[in-house]
Amino acid sequence: MVIRRDLVKGSSNSLLLSLLELQPMYGYQIVKELEAKSQGYFKFKEGTLYPALHRLEKSGLVTGRWQILPNGRQRRYYYITDKGLAKLALEKSQWQDFFKAVKLILQPGPSSS
Amino acid sequence: MTPELIQYLESIKLKARLEHADETEVMSELEAHIQDKIRELMESGLTEEEAIKTCLGEMGGTRLVARQIYEAYSQGSWKQVLLTCMPHLLFGLLFVLNWWQYPGWLSIVLMLTLATTIYGWWHGKPTWVFSWLGYTLLPVLAAGLSLLYLPRVWSLLALLVYFPVALWWLFRIIVQTNKRDWIFSSLMLLPLPVMIGWFLAVSESGKFTEHSLQLVYYFAPWIGLSFIALALTIAAFIRLRQRWLRVALLATSGLLTVTLIVHYTVGRLDTFTFFGLILVMWGVLLVPALLERRLRSGRRISFK
Repeated sequence: MVIRRDLVKGSSNSLLLSLLELQPMYGYQIVKELEAKSQGYFKFKEGTLYPALHRLEKSGLVTGRWQILPNGRQRRYYYITDKGLAKLALEKSQWQDFFKAVKLILQPGPSSS
Repeated sequence: MTPELIQYLESIKLKARLEHADETEVMSELEAHIQDKIRELMESGLTEEEAIKTCLGEMGGTRLVARQIYEAYSQGSWKQVLLTCMPHLLFGLLFVLNWWQYPGWLSIVLMLTLATTIYGWWHGKPTWVFSWLGYTLLPVLAAGLSLLYLPRVWSLLALLVYFPVALWWLFRIIVQTNKRDWIFSSLMLLPLPVMIGWFLAVSESGKFTEHSLQLVYYFAPWIGLSFIALALTIAAFIRLRQRWLRVALLATSGLLTVTLIVHYTVGRLDTFTFFGLILVMWGVLLVPALLERRLRSGRRISFK
C-alpha cells in the first residue's frame, strides 16, 4: 500500500493541525482521535508521531507544554499557534482545490463529455 | 517499567543521539505514551506481558523511531551554521589575506578559538563547539613538530614522552565527544588531514625551513581556500537532516580537499603521500565510529 502510505505521509501535518485546532491534545490522545475519526484508516507506528509533532513545534506551528495531572503524572499537551492556524487554513484550501480537481476527473459530469 | 520497556527506550535514546535537554523531554514523552497505552491494554483484558508486546509492536521499531527523532532534531539553525563555520572561515581568511605571518593575528585567532571552545565545552557542548575544538589541536600539533628542532637525543626523548601524552589527551577528547555522537569527533578532526597535507607539501623532509615559509606564502590562497571549502562542507552538514548524508558529505569533502592539496602543490606530494593522506582522512571518519561501537558494547557488557 505504497500510495496510501505516501498519502498519509504527505498529509500528516494537515491531519495533526486539524486535530489540534479542535482542542489541545497529548500524543496518545492524538493517536486515538486520529484512528477514531478516520474509522481506523489512519493507523501508523505510534512512536513516529512524536518526531512529526516536534517538527511542527520547531516550525512554530504548534507549541508543547507539560501539565501535571491530579494523579501526579505528567503529560505534554500540544497547542496550535496562530502561525499553525494560518498554515492549516492554507492547506485546507489547497486540499479542497485538489479534491475538486480529482473529482472532476474521476467523476466527470455531463458538461465535460 | 519492565526490563523490556527500559531496553526499548534505552535503545531509542542511544540511536537518536539528542542533546541532553531534548533527550530528557523526548524520552519522558515516549515513556508517558507507553505507560498510558499499556494501562489501557491491560484494562481491556490483556495480561501485562501481552500488553507490553502489543504496545511495543504498535510503537514501531527502535531504529525507525530513533531515525525519525534524529531527523526532527538534527537540522541546525543558520545561527548554528555561522558559529560552526566560523573557525574554518577565520583560519581560511588568515591565509587568504596572508595574515598568518603576523604573530598578533595568529595569537588573536588562537586565543579566540581556545576561549570559544572552553565556553562551549562548559555550556552543554552544543554542536558548534566541535569544529572549534578541532583547531585547539593546532598548538598541540605545533608543539609536537617543534620538538623535531631539539638536538637529536633530546628530540627523541621529548618525542617519546610527548606522543603518548598527546595521543592520550586526544583519545580522552574523542571519548568525551563520542558521548554525544561519533560524527562530531569526525567533524572535530576534519581539518587534521588538511593541516597534515599542507605541512607535508611545504616542509623539507619533515622540517619547517626558511624555504617552507616562502612556500606557505606562495600557497597561502590555496591553503585558505581549502579551509573555506571545509567551512562550506560544515554549513551543509549542519543543515542536513539525514545521518547517512552527513557521513557521506564528510567522507567526500575530505577526499576532495586532499585531492585539491595534491593538485595545487604539483609534484610536491607523491602518490604514496596522497594515499597516506586518504588513510588519515578515513581514519578521522572511522576511528571515532569504531571507538563508539567498542565503548557501547563495553558498557552493555558491564550492565549485564
